[in-house]
Amino acid sequence: MEKSATDLLTSPGVSSLFKSLKLKTKQQELLIRVTILFLVYVLAFITRLFSVLRYESMIHEFDPYFNYRVTQFLTEKGFYEFWNWFDSESWYPLGRIIGGTLYPGLMVTAALIYWTIRFLRFSVHIREVCVLTAPFFASNTTLVAYFFGKELWDTGAGLVAAVLIAICPGYISRSVAGSYDNEGVAIFALLLTFYLFVKAVNTGSLAWALASAFGYFYMVSAWGGYVFIINLIPLYVMVLLIVGRYSMRLYVAYNCTYILGMLLAMQIRFVGFQHVQSGEHMAAMGVFFLMQVFYFLDWVKHSLNDPKLFHTFLRITVTCAVGLGAIALGVGTASGYISPWTGRFYSLLDPTYAKDHIPIIASVSEHQPTAWSSFMFDFHILLLLFPAGLYFCFKRLSDATIFIVMYGLTSMYFAGVMVRLILVATPAVCLISAIAVSATIKNLTQLVRAKSKASHSASGKGTTSSKASSKGSLDQSLPFQRNGAIALLLGAFYLLSRYAIHCTWVTSEAYSSPSIVLAARGAHGNRVIFDDYREAYFWLRQNTPPDAKVMSWWDYGYQITAMGNRTVIVDNNTWNNTHIATVGRAMSSYEDEAYEIMRSLDVDYVLVVFGGVTGYSSDDINKFLWMVRIGGGVFPVIKEPDYLVNGEYRVDKGAAPKMLNCLMYKLSYYRFGELTTEYGKPPGYDRARGVEIGNKDIKLEYLEEAFTTSNWIVRIYKVKPPNNRW
Amino acid sequence: MPPKSETQPAAAATVRPDHVYDSIDPIFHLLRILPFSFLRPPRLRLKLPNLTLPSAMTVYSLILLTYFMVVSGIVYDVIVEPPGIGSTQDRFTGSVRPVVFLPGRVNGQYIIEGLSSGFMFVLGGFGIVLLDLALDKNRAKSVKVSFASAGVASIVISYVMSMLFIRIKIPGYLG
Repeated sequence: MEKSATDLLTSPGVSSLFKSLKLKTKQQELLIRVTILFLVYVLAFITRLFSVLRYESMIHEFDPYFNYRVTQFLTEKGFYEFWNWFDSESWYPLGRIIGGTLYPGLMVTAALIYWTIRFLRFSVHIREVCVLTAPFFASNTTLVAYFFGKELWDTGAGLVAAVLIAICPGYISRSVAGSYDNEGVAIFALLLTFYLFVKAVNTGSLAWALASAFGYFYMVSAWGGYVFIINLIPLYVMVLLIVGRYSMRLYVAYNCTYILGMLLAMQIRFVGFQHVQSGEHMAAMGVFFLMQVFYFLDWVKHSLNDPKLFHTFLRITVTCAVGLGAIALGVGTASGYISPWTGRFYSLLDPTYAKDHIPIIASVSEHQPTAWSSFMFDFHILLLLFPAGLYFCFKRLSDATIFIVMYGLTSMYFAGVMVRLILVATPAVCLISAIAVSATIKNLTQLVRAKSKASHSASGKGTTSSKASSKGSLDQSLPFQRNGAIALLLGAFYLLSRYAIHCTWVTSEAYSSPSIVLAARGAHGNRVIFDDYREAYFWLRQNTPPDAKVMSWWDYGYQITAMGNRTVIVDNNTWNNTHIATVGRAMSSYEDEAYEIMRSLDVDYVLVVFGGVTGYSSDDINKFLWMVRIGGGVFPVIKEPDYLVNGEYRVDKGAAPKMLNCLMYKLSYYRFGELTTEYGKPPGYDRARGVEIGNKDIKLEYLEEAFTTSNWIVRIYKVKPPNNRW
Repeated sequence: MPPKSETQPAAAATVRPDHVYDSIDPIFHLLRILPFSFLRPPRLRLKLPNLTLPSAMTVYSLILLTYFMVVSGIVYDVIVEPPGIGSTQDRFTGSVRPVVFLPGRVNGQYIIEGLSSGFMFVLGGFGIVLLDLALDKNRAKSVKVSFASAGVASIVISYVMSMLFIRIKIPGYLG
C-alpha cells in the first residue's frame, strides 16, 4: 500500500498504526469520529470562502451593511450608547430608533469575538471579524447537527448529518463569508435550541430544559424567525399529547423552557411584551395551560379509584378549561390587547394575502414562492433521501423522531411558500436524509459483513438484519447477495460524491457573488469586474457636503449610509410604507411635481441605478413598476395603467407618454441617447431591455447631473436650489 | 373522551334511579331539572364514533402525498398561476411548439414540469423504502428480490431523470 513520504510511522497499514498505539476498538472508533468531525468543521469553513479568495474580504449585499455599521458603532462607542442610539442619518426627516428596533444578537456576538481576539493581542479589523462570523458559526452548526443526529438515531447518522449540513447549498446561500446577516447566527441558535429541547424531553432533566431556554433566548436576540420555534414546540407538544405520549419528562421540559424562555425573551427591547400580547405567541401559552390541565387530571386520576367518577370529572374539567380558554382568547382579541398576526407571518399561512394586500412584501424577490428547480438547486440528492428518512422515522417512532418529522414537514411547507425559508428547512432535511443514509448503509454493510457463522454480531438498532433470511435461504444466494450489497454500497457512495460535486459547483457559481461587485465574461472570455457601486458611494463620501441628503430607492439605503456616510430618505428597513410611497411617487411623477416633493424632503442628491450600458438587469427601470405600485397604494394619483401600453411595460418608442417623461426615465436615460452601447445597434440601445429607447432628447430642468460611474451603472444627480425670486 | 350516553338513560330516570343522584356533575343536574323534567328525549340508537388514531404507515403515505405536492411547487402554481405548459412559435414555419421547461430563471416553472419533477423525487425516496422493505426477514424470497430490484430501478431512474431535468432547465449546469 502506498503511503506518503511524510508518514514517519512507516507501518504497512492504518490498522497496524492503531495497534502500535495500542488502541482498543472503542478508542479507534472515537479517534475516527473526532477526525471526521474535525475535517467537517474545517470543510464547512473553507467552502464558504470563495468570494474572499476571488474578490476581497468585503461585506456583501444590502442588509449586511447595516449590521456592519451597527457593529462598528458598538465596538467604538460601547453598549450604553448602542442601546440608546437614535439614528438621524436614515429615514430623513423621521430618523430611526436603532437601539430598540433591531435584533442585537449578531452584532453583540461579532463584537464579543472582536474583543476576545483583541484581548489576545491580535490586531484585527472589525470588518474581518464581521466577514468571517457566518462561516465560523456554520462550522459550529455542523457540530450541533452531529449531536442532534446522535440523539435522534445513532452516531453514524450524526456524522452523516454533520457532513450534509456542512456543504448544503440551502445553508451556504445565507452564510458565505461576507454575508453578515442575522441568519448566519440564527440557524446555529435554532438548531441548538431544538437539540437542547429534544434532549430535555428525552431525559426529563431540568438542566437541559434550562439550557434550552437560554438557547431560545439567543435565538430571540438573533432573528425574527424565532416565531417559528415558539410555534413549532407547542405544536410538537400537542401532537405528543394527542398520540398519547404525555410523560413527566415532557411536562418538565416544556414548562421550564416556555416560562424561562419567555422571561428571557422579554429582555430584548424589540420583542418586548409580544410573548403575552401578540397573536403569534398565543399557541405556546395555550399549550402551557393545557399541560397544567393534563397534569392536574393525571393527579386526580391517580388519587381517585373510581373510573366512572373520573370520567365525569374529566368531562367537566375539559369543558371548563376549553371554555375558559376560548373566552379569554376572545376577550383578549376583542379588546385589542392581543394583536392579530402581522402581515409578514400571516402571508406564510395564507400565501395569497401578500399579493393582494401588501405589495411591499410581495415585491421582494426572496419572498416569491418556490419552484421545483429552486428545491433541486438547494438540496440535490437530499430531496430523494427526505421521504426515505421520514419512512425510517415512522418505523422507529420515539419522542425525538416525532419532533424531527414535524420540524421537517412544517419547514418544508414554509420553504414551499417562500424561497428564503429554504434556509430554515435545511437542517431538518439534512438530519432526516442523514437518518435515511445511515440506516440504508447500515443495512447494506450488514449484508456485506453477514457470514454464515453462528457468532454473527448483528447489533441491529431498529434496522432489520438479513441474518435470518440468509440462514433461511439457500446458501447459493449468499455470495450473490453479498455482491449485490457491495454494488449498492458503491452506488450510494457515488450518489453522495455527486452531491458533494453539485454543492461545490453551486457554491462557487451561484452563491459566492458579493452583489455589490458585479462580474461578467468579456468578449475574449476574460473576467470583467464592475465596481461601480463602491465607486459611486465613495464619490458621495468625498464630494458632497456632510449633511447632504440622498434620495434613492430603498434597496440602496443601507449601503449609502454605511459606505457613503450620508443621510438617506428611505432604506431597507421598510418600516414606514408611506415614506417609501412618497419616494415612489416622486420617482414616477413628472419632473416638476417630483421637484416639489424633493424640496419638501430637503433632498440634495438623487441616486439611480441603470443597467442599460452593461446589460445589468436588476436596475431601477426594471424595479420601476414596484415603485408605481407602492406609490399608487398610498397616493391614488399614481395609476399603474398610465405607465403600461396594452398591459405591457415598454421603454421604447411605443411606450406610454407618462412613462417617457417621468423622473425615473429621465434620470436613467439622460444623455444615453448619444451613447452607442453595442456594435451594429443605433445609439441609445438599452442592453438590459433589448430595445432602443423612445425619448432620446432629455432635458432636465430642476436637476443636474453630478456623477455617473464608469460603466453608467450608478448615476447621481444634484437637485438645484429654487430660482431667485424677483 | 367518555361517551355522552350517560345523560340519556339518566334522563329517562326510571331505568336506573341510583345512578342519577350519584353524579357530581352540576351541569348534568341543571339539565336534568330545567328542560328535561318536562321534555322527553326520543330513544335513539346513536353511538359516538370510535376515533382511533390512524396507523403510522397511513400517516406516512399521507405525508408522502403532501411532500409530493409541496416539492412540485404547488404554492408557486397557485400564486403565480403559470400555464400548464409553455409554447413558443417557430420563427420560420409559424407553428406553435410546446416548451416544457421554463427557460431563463431558476425560480420559475410551468405546472407540468413541477409535477413531473416532484414525481421523480418521490419515486426515488420510495425506491429507498423498497430497498429497506426488501431486507425484511419475514417475506418470501421472490417478493424480497422483486422489491430489491424495483427499489434499485426506482432510484436509478429517479436520479437519472432528475439530473436530466436540471440539465435542461439550467443550461450551464456543472461547468
